[in-house]
Amino acid sequence: MPNIEVDKREFNDLVGEEIENESMIEEGSMLGAHWHSIEDYVCDVETYPNRPDLLSVEGLARAYRGFFDIETGRTEYQIKEGDIEVEVDNSVEDVRPFIGCAVVRGLDLSRKKINGLIQLQEKLHETMGRRRDKLAIGLHDLSTVEAPFTYKAVEPEKVSFIPLEYDKDMDLDEILDEHEKGRKYAWILEDENNYPIIEDSNGRILSFPPIINNQLTEVDASTEEIFVDVTGKSKEAVLKALNIISTALAERGGELESVAVDGEKLPDLSPERFKLDPEYFRNVSGLEISDKEIIRRLEMMKHDAKVKKDSIEVEVPSYRTDIMHQYDLIEEVVIAYRYDNIEPEMPEVDQIAEKSDIQEFVDRFRDVMVSAGILEANTFYLSSKEDLFDEMNTEESDDFAEVANPSSIDQEAVRNKLTPSLFQALHDNRHHSYPQSFFEVSEVVELDESHVGASNRMKLAFIKASKDLGYTEARKVLQVLERDIGISLELKSSEKEFARENRSADIIYQGERIGFICEYSDEVVHNWDLELDVVGFELDLEKLM
Amino acid sequence: MKLSSQALEILEKLKENNGEATVEGLEKQGFDQSMVNRASLELEENDLLNIEEVEEEEKTLSETGKKVLEEGSPEYRLVERVQSGDTHMSDLQDLDLDVALGKARQKSWIQIENGEIELVEEVDRDTVKQNLESGNFKQSYIDRGLVETEEKIKRTLKLEEKGEKIDLNDVDEYFNVEASVETPRTGKKHFYKDILDFAREKFVEMGFSEMRGDFIVPSLLNFDALYTAQDHPARDLHDTFFMERPESSDLSVYGDKVQHIKETHENGWTTGSKGWGYDWSKDEASRNVLRTHTTAVSARRLHEIDINEEELPKKFFIIGRNFRNETVDRTHLPGFIQLDGIVVGEDLNYRNLKAYLSEFFEKMGYDEFRLIPSYYPYTEMSTEVQVWDEEDEEWLGMGGAGLFRPEVVKPLLGVEATVLAWGLGVGRIAMKAAQIQDIRELYRNDIEILENTPKWRPEK
Repeated sequence: MPNIEVDKREFNDLVGEEIENESMIEEGSMLGAHWHSIEDYVCDVETYPNRPDLLSVEGLARAYRGFFDIETGRTEYQIKEGDIEVEVDNSVEDVRPFIGCAVVRGLDLSRKKINGLIQLQEKLHETMGRRRDKLAIGLHDLSTVEAPFTYKAVEPEKVSFIPLEYDKDMDLDEILDEHEKGRKYAWILEDENNYPIIEDSNGRILSFPPIINNQLTEVDASTEEIFVDVTGKSKEAVLKALNIISTALAERGGELESVAVDGEKLPDLSPERFKLDPEYFRNVSGLEISDKEIIRRLEMMKHDAKVKKDSIEVEVPSYRTDIMHQYDLIEEVVIAYRYDNIEPEMPEVDQIAEKSDIQEFVDRFRDVMVSAGILEANTFYLSSKEDLFDEMNTEESDDFAEVANPSSIDQEAVRNKLTPSLFQALHDNRHHSYPQSFFEVSEVVELDESHVGASNRMKLAFIKASKDLGYTEARKVLQVLERDIGISLELKSSEKEFARENRSADIIYQGERIGFICEYSDEVVHNWDLELDVVGFELDLEKLM
Repeated sequence: MKLSSQALEILEKLKENNGEATVEGLEKQGFDQSMVNRASLELEENDLLNIEEVEEEEKTLSETGKKVLEEGSPEYRLVERVQSGDTHMSDLQDLDLDVALGKARQKSWIQIENGEIELVEEVDRDTVKQNLESGNFKQSYIDRGLVETEEKIKRTLKLEEKGEKIDLNDVDEYFNVEASVETPRTGKKHFYKDILDFAREKFVEMGFSEMRGDFIVPSLLNFDALYTAQDHPARDLHDTFFMERPESSDLSVYGDKVQHIKETHENGWTTGSKGWGYDWSKDEASRNVLRTHTTAVSARRLHEIDINEEELPKKFFIIGRNFRNETVDRTHLPGFIQLDGIVVGEDLNYRNLKAYLSEFFEKMGYDEFRLIPSYYPYTEMSTEVQVWDEEDEEWLGMGGAGLFRPEVVKPLLGVEATVLAWGLGVGRIAMKAAQIQDIRELYRNDIEILENTPKWRPEK
């Protein structure tokens, strides 16, 4: 979740009212942005990925003006028709096909406001922009370049400029190799031969999206006119981001002016229309509130709404990215109504409930093991191959589910047996006195012929460690299981690579092998840094069901 | 005079020992430490004996120290590597370079220029390792964190004059019925599983039937069916474990639903939604993952409901393990246990959802709870559930809830319906119960913690 920092004084100015810190933290969070803390005017606000329009102090203030009933309904932004044109060359089609632009004039910027803008830009890059791949934003001082502009893809070594944060002229390849931002985002252009640029009428480069701008167009406190470019791979995302940025600048008193991008006038701030069926709303929310009340709550969320025949027609602001179904509007109304104010109501649902068959079954085994004096262990489900095989003196095979992208080797395998985990428990308890015994009843994963290629299997493992301990100790516990569960198991001598000679057997149930029992070999015991006798068994419980 | 049999035994022992013994020494002779402590206190109360306490510093190797014993000190390993030709810093990234360079420079063994390391002194032995081996624990090793010190109290028992003189035949033995004895080690359920068992009972009490589901599922169930777009960050390699083997699922068992899910993502299908508006890939949906939430099991259950056979409403739950690609530390695990519930029906609403949640948490001992707007791609009235913790006076996040979106329900179930859903965690409750701060302790099975954590019941 993206966190942003906003200045409480700026926020109050933009809201137009002084809102107490405490009520921001308590009530403010009820809008769906968490106000974690406010210290020395610095607010730490966490927003959710569905509301990129809240990633700036301007966007937050706009939303809270509605939520706190200060200024409700949709904000209508004026756009003056401008004469700046952007030509989109066919060459960008395969690289980064979409661009949206806007011009904002009459700005009165300060260092602080610029920092806020950069924060908005960076957070949009990270979230909506999928680390600049899906979209990237450039802000330029319009007075430094001359329209019309061209968006095109060029051969990297043929174009050069002085990028931001650097003092030398570099071509596009050099930027990707040497510039910090180039190295960070080069992956986006990895498969491309030509790279996108925005150029002015004199052939000067404004930007090399999604990497870096020309130093020439850098925005500073003296900038009064900004040219905004948003480029990317999804037209919808590009236009939404453009709307978020442009309306944030307009909230600051900037005058929006349209740009003709291949003839299309942008930004397009016209609202999106949805129909909300008030009956549907009442059914889903459980709130018996009037149409009028529904409309009032929608207006508190900065929508426009009016009754039209049997439904409510809603005009959703152009900067909202998350409204795609009338279900979303139901949430909007309930948020404005406040989740707090919802009275719980238990529905009548007659149903005879039950635990799953397997849970019912294994709980008996757990009870018996506990009554036999054994501690229940709870261990990790992922494992290293080393623990599953080498440490158990077992030859590695590929009959286990393997993770493709583990962040450490401890997570490279989904375990197909429990015993190594119980050895781990013994290892972790070496500082405690002996004897020690553990059991675990848990699911492991085995490969099979199902449509997924693997399924869970419920297993039971037991382990006991002490000085002078023999096979008999494991056999005793197995017999307690037989007696108390009421089953009869057969043992058949079978040598195991992890067991002492003549001290291991297969456990057979109704003619089928369901597990093993043994005295572990000194080598295995030593592998787990233990110097004792260790015995145990492991069973597939599903074969007993 | 009357003494307990234990006190009498210790008194006798001391007399044999010229009136003096250490607790440690007695322990070595097979006496139980707590028995010795109780007996000596009793003897002290009767003015027969004096307990002398001396604080001593005990030095032991730390984990880092043990590593040095095994591998050699970082600075010596550095020297060895430089001697073998790895002279550039970039060759040596696998070493603990900060320490190695710092120490080697401090000892004037090396010089560094432009990342090139040059040996300026001949170093032929690892004195740090040798000293650690021989138990020569210098102060500097303590400063470096190779050696840890612990204050230990050493107790010596010395008979007082009265104790020296007393004739054992004049002492009556009595049986101390008040003293506590050593608690035996017994069988016990794991405290975390104990709480999960309790929660399971509560769901069953509320009329929910338990579901079961596999850890490995196709992305289709974990993400696509839950209306999570294919470029959603949760589907990144950084967050989700993808499978190398078995790599992908055969989605044909889901029949037409695959096509419906595809269309829902692309243009909303017949759900009344705009959809996400992108080209949906079936290959991406067949990739197997370790489920990142038990909601994947709820999705599968919705798919399995035969609306012609089964009557709605229906209630289901599962308590199960989920996996996230995280590096393990004090606050992160590569997985977590989630309690997922769904209620499927035609006339259900958000107030009903709130009622189930409040009922459940009341049963778990939390009277006060609240719902806060949140976001999940697959729910509306996306809700974070918090309960008020009386003891620590704070709101605890317990998980998420909401109503499944029509984009989730219709493709899976085949018809429109309301589905109340939640995914909760009780790991925080388990950590409080066992009084642990390090989340890894939930899986470490320390015998002392397992034994000393009382069987769980909600605090009232």
